[in-house]
Amino acid sequence: MKSRNQTITRRVFLRRSASGAGWLALAGVWPGGAAQRNANPFAYDLERVSKTDPKLVRYEQAGRFACPARGPRRLALGPGDRLYVAARNGVSVLDREGKRLDHIAMAAPARCVAVAADGSVYAGLRDHVEVFDPKGGRLAAWESPGKKVWLTGLAVAGKDVFVADAGNRVVLHYDVSGKLAGRIGEKNKERNIPGLIVPSPYLDVKMGRDGLLRVNNPGRHLVEVYTANGDLESSWGKATAAIEGFCGCCNPVGLALLADGRYVTCEKGLPRVKVYSAEGVFESVVAGPESFPENARAGAQYDGSDGLLGGLDAAVDSQGRVYVLDLVAGDVRVMRAKA
Amino acid sequence: MSGGSGIPVHRRQFLRDGARAAALAGLGGLLGLAAGRSAGAGTVWQIDPQKCVRCDNCATHCVLEQSAVKCVHAYAICGYCQLCTGFFEPAPNDLNTGAENCLCPTSAIKRSFVEDPYYEYSIDEHLCIGCAKCVEGCNRFGNGSLFLQVRHDRCLNCNECAISKVCPSDAFRRLPAGHPYLLKTMSH
Repeated sequence: MKSRNQTITRRVFLRRSASGAGWLALAGVWPGGAAQRNANPFAYDLERVSKTDPKLVRYEQAGRFACPARGPRRLALGPGDRLYVAARNGVSVLDREGKRLDHIAMAAPARCVAVAADGSVYAGLRDHVEVFDPKGGRLAAWESPGKKVWLTGLAVAGKDVFVADAGNRVVLHYDVSGKLAGRIGEKNKERNIPGLIVPSPYLDVKMGRDGLLRVNNPGRHLVEVYTANGDLESSWGKATAAIEGFCGCCNPVGLALLADGRYVTCEKGLPRVKVYSAEGVFESVVAGPESFPENARAGAQYDGSDGLLGGLDAAVDSQGRVYVLDLVAGDVRVMRAKA
Repeated sequence: MSGGSGIPVHRRQFLRDGARAAALAGLGGLLGLAAGRSAGAGTVWQIDPQKCVRCDNCATHCVLEQSAVKCVHAYAICGYCQLCTGFFEPAPNDLNTGAENCLCPTSAIKRSFVEDPYYEYSIDEHLCIGCAKCVEGCNRFGNGSLFLQVRHDRCLNCNECAISKVCPSDAFRRLPAGHPYLLKTMSH
């Protein structure tokens, strides 16, 4: 047996040193080390705010289907829970499972859609509204309301039609014949209205069962509540990347209302769909950024007409299920509340 | 020795004709090379903003000490947002110009008040290093009005651009020197 104090020869010393150096070199090129070296020192880090606390997610996916038409922008639900998707070549009519029932072809991209109780379809093209009967026959094409018009949201209630014009930062109030009855949301000190700020083409409008309009004010990170006459009743919202607020420069980009008056909001950049109480208190998450990997990567597609297209839109059916349209992936997810 | 026509050719004449042909071939080659170089000098490198994926290679791979790639701003597309995601960190403590709130590692973006709630953002190109951090923030949340371009007042127009070699999205391309930029525009 060799003694522990045995001296080593120069050759053994050199061999062991070379072996040790080899192991060190190997450790240096190990994938972890390489990743460390290649990490982008200028990365735009959203990781901290991109993760959703699972406890807050109170919806689960009940279905998912692709939009039959390219370039979907907005969706709405009509009588019988039929789904209407405004897209590049018109409005597609789908059943709850995404089966295409009909298609209303249009010469220009439909950017928003709403459906009346009688099944009449109102489609917003870039600068005007077109009206169709329930079978898709065109009834009217309204006159464009002016310059710089960029229609991105529609709501129908009884004999009133509300049209969100992102280009002019206003919600236009029409009657069903297309006659302009008023302008809502414009800056007005006397009426204590701060004005809509719409940096990108995502202005939405929804009519509640209480007869009040809900309008997103993305540049101020607010949801505003107006009467049909244009009086500002209240507003709520907070600019923060935290889950209880609205992230980025300009959110929310889409609204939907649950039967009890609670809100479903959609955001872009950090694509997430959330539920707020009727008073605007954060309640839960329908789907977080993890659910929309393509959308989250995006900043999305560049479209010469609309600029960057990303984001989500939502609609709620008679059973309280939330249909979420992913503008980037071009699909619809059906989300139901967890039992 | 005889030619193809059957006429005999002397060795001296053969050598003379051969030398002439070689000289002409050499001249042609030189002219071709000169023409090629001339065409190369007529083009410049540029980044296609639609292909750019906002990595940091433009900041770290240019042969210049400070990259010739700079952030540029298409004001017509900008939303003049109060909370600009190209200017502020994703979750800022406050909307002021405190360093802890700002995104740019070199403070190259300047923010100036226009009217409530609008702010204008401009790039100090002497400070910009082309890291694309602001471009990512603007494209992620906003309208994408911030984007990268090779600035030709400082680009050396290398024959083989060091950044183009490592560009992961093949966004670098040659443009005619008379139209050296690829700017973003909107149809409205």
